[in-house]
Amino acid sequence: MTTVDMRYTGSALDRVEGLEKVTGRARYAFENFPADLVYAVPVQAAIARGEIRAVDVDAVLEHPGVIAAIWYGNAPRLVPSDNADLAVFQSRRVAYRGQYIAVVVAETYEEAKEAARLLRVEYAAEDHDVRLRADHPNMYRPEKVNPNYPTDTEHGDPDTALTVAPVLVDATYSTPAEHNNPMEPHATVAEWDGDALTLYDSTQGASGVRDTVAPLFGVPPANVRVISPHVGGGFGSKGGPSPYVIIAALAARHVGRPVKLAVTRQQMFAVTGYRTPTIQRVRLGANADGRLTAIVHDAFEQSSTITEFAEQTTTPTRIMYAAPHRRTTHRLVRLDVPTPSWMRAPGECPGMFALESAMDELAIACQIDPVELRIRNEPDADPESGLPFSSRNLVACLREGARRFGWADRDPAPGVRRRDRLLIGTGVAASTYPVYRRPSQATAQAHRDGRFTVRIAAADIGTGARTVLTQIAADTLRTSPDQVLVEIGDSALPAASLAGGSMGTASWGTAVVRACEALVEGLDRRDGDLPAAGMESSADTTEEIGAQRRLSRHAFGAQFAEVGVDTDTGETRVLRLLGVFAAGRIINPKTARSQFIGGMTMGLSMALFEESIMDLEFGDYLNRDLAQYHVAACADVRDIEALWVEEDDPHLNPMGTKGIGEIGIVGTAAAVANAVHHATGVRIRDLPIRLDKLMR
Amino acid sequence: MDVQLSVNQDQHPITVDTRETLLDTLREQLDLTGAKKGCDHGQCGACTVLVDGRRVKSCLALTVTMDDREITTVEGLADGDTPHPLQAGFIEHDAFQCGYCTPGQLCSSVGMLAEFAAGWPSVVTPDVSAAPHLDEGEIRERMSGNLCRCGAYVNIVAAIGQAGR
Amino acid sequence: MSKAMSMDFLRPMTWAEALAAKAADPEARPILGGTDVMVELNFDRSRPSALLDLTAIPELAEWELRDGVVRLGAGVPYSRIITELGDLLPGLAIASRTVGSPQIRNRATVGGNLGSASPAGDAHPALLAAGAEVEVESVRGVRIIAVDEFFLGPKRSALQPGELIRAIGIPVTGGPQQFSKIGTRNAMVIAVCSFGIALHPAQRRVGTGIGSAAPTPLRAHAAEEFLGAELDWDGPLDRAVANRFGELVAAAASPIDDVRGTAAYRRHALSVLARRTLTWSWEEYRCV
Repeated sequence: MTTVDMRYTGSALDRVEGLEKVTGRARYAFENFPADLVYAVPVQAAIARGEIRAVDVDAVLEHPGVIAAIWYGNAPRLVPSDNADLAVFQSRRVAYRGQYIAVVVAETYEEAKEAARLLRVEYAAEDHDVRLRADHPNMYRPEKVNPNYPTDTEHGDPDTALTVAPVLVDATYSTPAEHNNPMEPHATVAEWDGDALTLYDSTQGASGVRDTVAPLFGVPPANVRVISPHVGGGFGSKGGPSPYVIIAALAARHVGRPVKLAVTRQQMFAVTGYRTPTIQRVRLGANADGRLTAIVHDAFEQSSTITEFAEQTTTPTRIMYAAPHRRTTHRLVRLDVPTPSWMRAPGECPGMFALESAMDELAIACQIDPVELRIRNEPDADPESGLPFSSRNLVACLREGARRFGWADRDPAPGVRRRDRLLIGTGVAASTYPVYRRPSQATAQAHRDGRFTVRIAAADIGTGARTVLTQIAADTLRTSPDQVLVEIGDSALPAASLAGGSMGTASWGTAVVRACEALVEGLDRRDGDLPAAGMESSADTTEEIGAQRRLSRHAFGAQFAEVGVDTDTGETRVLRLLGVFAAGRIINPKTARSQFIGGMTMGLSMALFEESIMDLEFGDYLNRDLAQYHVAACADVRDIEALWVEEDDPHLNPMGTKGIGEIGIVGTAAAVANAVHHATGVRIRDLPIRLDKLMR
Repeated sequence: MDVQLSVNQDQHPITVDTRETLLDTLREQLDLTGAKKGCDHGQCGACTVLVDGRRVKSCLALTVTMDDREITTVEGLADGDTPHPLQAGFIEHDAFQCGYCTPGQLCSSVGMLAEFAAGWPSVVTPDVSAAPHLDEGEIRERMSGNLCRCGAYVNIVAAIGQAGR
Repeated sequence: MSKAMSMDFLRPMTWAEALAAKAADPEARPILGGTDVMVELNFDRSRPSALLDLTAIPELAEWELRDGVVRLGAGVPYSRIITELGDLLPGLAIASRTVGSPQIRNRATVGGNLGSASPAGDAHPALLAAGAEVEVESVRGVRIIAVDEFFLGPKRSALQPGELIRAIGIPVTGGPQQFSKIGTRNAMVIAVCSFGIALHPAQRRVGTGIGSAAPTPLRAHAAEEFLGAELDWDGPLDRAVANRFGELVAAAASPIDDVRGTAAYRRHALSVLARRTLTWSWEEYRCV
């Protein structure tokens, strides 16, 4: 495998689109204005389960400016697909409260909004069931978990091993539903020209949206163009098209004019996905010296009645620690709730909260330092598959973090360190995330003026993708970044995998390297003599990725937290967070640090604040705005630093990178919860660490 | 209703719906899409603009109340082609990722530094009778009306700290 | 555009015009900084027939000190209370520094927040503790309402049809005042609970105000009476007295469980806030 020469990769290049973003010139989806456009405002179901009897379309058509009101009763039929969430207005059934059941189109946003508010809908409501519990009678074993992992695994005889283990931790943890809440709410501008559709969409994957939307309208993918040069965050919630995209396209076709549709912040709590709540039982059996003999991790989750989304909550437990006897399971129940989906590190994030909290409990039970406990259980190879790790530097991260954080001489006794009104504590947790890579295509073009254009339908949702691809292309083309223009965010460009699974740089970078290599080779053959039109090369990485050696590929990290807890009120503040990561080669230390810290900041937010509360009576999430769903604000984030250990792993991709978008959030909440225990002696097993839980 | 909007020192005679927010007018009528819509209820700060030099959430301001005011949006911060020092600082410190909260963060920090220069105390100012000192704690508190989901806060604080000195 | 869909916009230039407009359409919604009203509009919670923009009326944006009382125009934003009234009204100024976010404080007003009568309004405990009075007016005349009789229920106030809030009269006590609130987040929080205290040394009396722990902001009457009887105004603060005060404040509340905290936690936290703010105030009082 060839590797990219390091000149610009590895350097702290400023974001190439930085000036556009700080001057307000960067355009996001809703900021496009085709001629003759109209506004669409969707209407949400007011019941959690049942049927729509009637919608009084005629009454709202009387209102000024209103052009159409569309629901099941008058909607055009879409081509059936296996994605029930996207089959908008194709059925009378209501699957969850807040589901989009109609849309009003009007000349202005104010008129559409007013008419949507006044639209009368008659329902036949049925009893709903929205409460997740581990003993729900409808719990079942899904066939696989996201994206394609075995549901359960078992090695050895874990039940017997637990029975005979000298030390046993058996604890149940829970994490609440959480909502991604990117700062840019989802939005689409849809415009038809005959049978050709253009969507200005806020998406993590233009190619994927095109491929999903086109068949629903019975047109070939080539007829659909998805444009999304700038995306205001996604964190998984913009991974695939959500119902609003289909509604915008359907409405635009129905009224014969371009349609703008913005999901409101409140609607996002029902229609754009969320992290499933989890209930997790972790059992650890160990010898007195802390060496694990058995690990059992069982997860219970929810999905909607129309779509099975089974999160891979216990998969990190399959690779973290050595133990001869082990089992992981996932059980799912289908409730009358919105469909959950990806949210930053689905699976790893909630799963590692449970596992790493349990490891802290084991360290206390064995009276072993929690850093040392993890080092003692370091496996030689992937403990379940037996495959070698391509590289694994968890121990280096733990040691380096401990040194930087000042972990040595830590007194393990809980509840004894006071500073004024605060009880102080420190905690540690490990972190991990798999290394994925998906096939993508790219082209590289040389121009006669010495400049280059690289094209790939990648997405920059704030990750720095545009910048690192520029660096990667510059090094492969043996030029400087200012000579390279990278075009992304448009499905008309060569097809690419989505910005998700921390695989963007690995997937797109491979395609960019191969296209640039081919171009360089072609240029070399011609001795640099370019035809007038320039020269272009392309690459498709399907074969290369399909042929890669079977290895266990994962990034690892260690998170350290210091907290202060008010002794009288339970108010918890994270005083310090340090993350040390081993994630292959770092292409851009500036943007990489931002991503690690960004993930840790979201992890802090998860630890202390985030919780979507199900209203059992009405069947929807109660706190559906940013006044009530708290995310960390500037004042909550004090001292956060992220570092990395050098990793030279030849088994990854031409750049030698592992993903960095998600690992930052994994383990943070456990580190904070472990620090809270160290500070107060109170073990919080149900997130978030709300102040009233510390004062009970 | 007819109003005369003064934005970034340009005069815009326009007709607006009485229900229209300043944010929607800027974005949908004047094509000034720098101010962002993030929540529509004053909780995220992405829509922050300056009204007569004071930072304000434009999603909570009705356009019809703005006809005698001077409005500055992110598009009006730079001096021609020269970015405002805070804009340059945000790039240098990587104080944003997706960029959606950035225009609001920038307008808010311009307004904040003006409030600071005028001696306004904050809830974390230890002695309200003395001139406040622009440390990280003050910046964090005073910038807490602007959420950033990408988690760029530490870099935002660093960028403002540098520009404010 | 039909009347049913649209919303009239009225912008009186004088107070008399405002009262006349409100009399003509009692459903017209007064708007000052807009921070409460606009949330209701944007969230479709209400659709008033008309908006009555009071921002052009000069006297609403002014305050004056007369006979030991600050008459605070209903339209003075919190940022001006912070910068101009920190010495005269310390409790209200401290509370003002925690209202919403800085952008909100540049627009939001005490008058507007009183009009919305939110149980969680951050200024309300400070007004209760100071013994403020609300000056309301209609074409029928002026009424003065003690602030602890102003709140009738969640989002319900003693305002009668046609009445507008003209000003808030807040006595200058000359004694220490404190305000404290608890929230999960470090900033921009809706209080889990909050508490304001004002020492009235001349009257040898202590005023209190509780926020976010009952359907309305309220005074802790029994706690005030207890301190009135038990406080030794010439000596150090007795710890037992402070503790008992905290218990009585907690007992005055009638909190509920909600997304921000349990009722039991709120009672506990209120006792802590009451004890703390009394201690801080007493230290300040004894130092002066």
